[in-house]
Amino acid sequence: MQHSLTILHMFPDLLNLYGDKGNIECMRKRLQWRGIEADVIACTYDEQFTDFEKVDIIFLGGGSDREQKIVCSALLKYKQQLKNYVENGGTLVAVCGGYQLLGKYYALPDEKIEGLDILDIYTEHGNPRLIGNIILQNEEIRQPIVGFENHGGRTYIGSHTPLGKVVKGFGNTGKTGAEGVRYKNVYATYLHGPLLPKNPQLCDAILSGALQKKYPDFTALSALDDSMENQANEYMQRVIRAE
Amino acid sequence: MNQWVFMKVFLAILAARLTAFLAKLRGGKSSSMPGAIALKICPDLIARLSSQVRKGIVCVCGTNGKTTTNNLLCSALEGAGNKVICNKLGANMKNGVATAFALAARLNGRIDADYASIEVDEASTIKVFEYMKPQVMVISNLFRDQLDRYGEIDITVDLLTKAIGMLDDVTLVLNADDPLCTQFGYKTDKKTLYFGISEKVLPQTDDTKEGRFCPICGGKQWYNYYHYSQLGDYECTGCDFKRPHPQIEATDVKLGADIAFSINGKPMQIHYKGFYNIYNMIAVYAALTAFGIDTVHFSDLLKSYKPQIGRMEEIVLKGKPVILNLAKNPAGFNQAIDTVLTDPRKKDVIIAINDNANDGRDVSWLWDVDYEKIQTDTLNTLTCTGIRLYDIALRFKYSNVPVDTISESMKEAIESTLQTDTQVVYILVNYSAMYTTEDVMLELKKKYGGEA
Repeated sequence: MQHSLTILHMFPDLLNLYGDKGNIECMRKRLQWRGIEADVIACTYDEQFTDFEKVDIIFLGGGSDREQKIVCSALLKYKQQLKNYVENGGTLVAVCGGYQLLGKYYALPDEKIEGLDILDIYTEHGNPRLIGNIILQNEEIRQPIVGFENHGGRTYIGSHTPLGKVVKGFGNTGKTGAEGVRYKNVYATYLHGPLLPKNPQLCDAILSGALQKKYPDFTALSALDDSMENQANEYMQRVIRAE
Repeated sequence: MNQWVFMKVFLAILAARLTAFLAKLRGGKSSSMPGAIALKICPDLIARLSSQVRKGIVCVCGTNGKTTTNNLLCSALEGAGNKVICNKLGANMKNGVATAFALAARLNGRIDADYASIEVDEASTIKVFEYMKPQVMVISNLFRDQLDRYGEIDITVDLLTKAIGMLDDVTLVLNADDPLCTQFGYKTDKKTLYFGISEKVLPQTDDTKEGRFCPICGGKQWYNYYHYSQLGDYECTGCDFKRPHPQIEATDVKLGADIAFSINGKPMQIHYKGFYNIYNMIAVYAALTAFGIDTVHFSDLLKSYKPQIGRMEEIVLKGKPVILNLAKNPAGFNQAIDTVLTDPRKKDVIIAINDNANDGRDVSWLWDVDYEKIQTDTLNTLTCTGIRLYDIALRFKYSNVPVDTISESMKEAIESTLQTDTQVVYILVNYSAMYTTEDVMLELKKKYGGEA
């Protein structure tokens, strides 16, 4: 049977600060190159698509504070549906602002933005912004994760498992040595932009989780020629470690 | 000036001159350091010198095209017989501004200038305006740029709003086609002068658009047409914010090897590629108008204007034209690629991306550029280089565009394109890659001979 996945890009018209297209294209191409159909649909401010039952991967990116507030008020209407989606093992990739939105709240100096309360985490505004290249080590994936972070928020993840241990860089708060959250099929992180193209194993872990949920007989993804991706990953590790 | 102040000013100018001299001896380019040292000695040096400018100070802001606009404006003012102070090399933070003034001053702290034409980095406007009060402020566009330095575009808007508030008597010269610029005119009671391109010129695409939402009320903006990015003819559906009618307006635009257009009915022609350059030209025209300066000879000025380093700069190597262009952000790169596509010759393309501090450490923006458009029938080879060579290579791979070479050496990259049977080579680079690339081009020119 031909496998296929539907990827829902949440508010690409508003949460588009950090070249999220790179992550969407990476997931799409790595499915297509393996003969798996990939359908990318968008939920925009004008045309809201929130039939989460019909999708296999939800991607929530980052935006400016102003845009994030607009998204937040739009998303709060679907809070319960999103929560059910996650609890039922739906795959959700959340980056930067999207990551913060999954928590209970984001406390800015002059206001408190209510979150979706999907993860038992919260974020507080801090100074300075935490900016720079970063390397993580995730427990499930052998390949270190390389990326770039830029966030004013400090995210406190309580008893949640982080996405990875910080090898170099700041992470959730700059102090705890933890970055992101890994929960069920949720991948939440401050590493933004073209994260997945340089981290093919992370991308495949995300895709595998979504395929396993949809197709109980699914076993494993076929191998791809990742020499360019792996070179990119190793090259950035070298560059970042030398900083 | 009391003796103590006189001494400080004297030492500051002397130190700036010495620093510039030493940098020159070592063959370096030093456009910030002399100012930095001068300000250490005399923190209010910019105020002491800029207050002596006789006729007026203009400040040029805007994400893209600042240096081109400012240098052309300087030429226009000089052409009208004025003495002008200008930070020509594009050092546009507080230290760079201080350098321009300090190196133009005599040791006694006097300057002899009719105008100062100063480009200022948007994030530095507040720090600069504390000491220098321009009578004309040009804001030509606001695009997403080097995110890790400036946070977000909203932060830039806030900074500029505060900076404008520091100026009591100023005329804002704003790009009418950019809602992010015209919001400053809408929100203020200061004098405004708008410039814009008042007709649909380019094919309409649906690439990433900034600011689809009204900067005033947050409602959705409706566009009659787009030029590129968020520039175009817009109108908010939620409030009365819309494109103001520009007093300085370009029409009859024809794009080819040259660009032809009219400003308020007067025909202009530039031997210069790139639609975006029209904005630089009409911004200058508008700034001159704001000062009440005659613009009768403006078309002659444009004819003789030579682009500075890395702006579609052409060097012939082994009989083949090699064209270098700088682009720093998605809007700039998309415009550069569109310009390459207007060239029908068979071509090799080299793309170099660095992530040094002055480039912005974050390269996420690579995904906001429509790089895949570069793949056309006239593309021969595609080479990726620069510090982030793999990021740009993957950018192409995940758009199904084959990359021929990934090379850490710009020299090897250029040399191999000189072996192909193409008619032209384009090298698109971001900021810090520009100077090293130019050096390589000049080195190869020496090796092979040939004219610049």
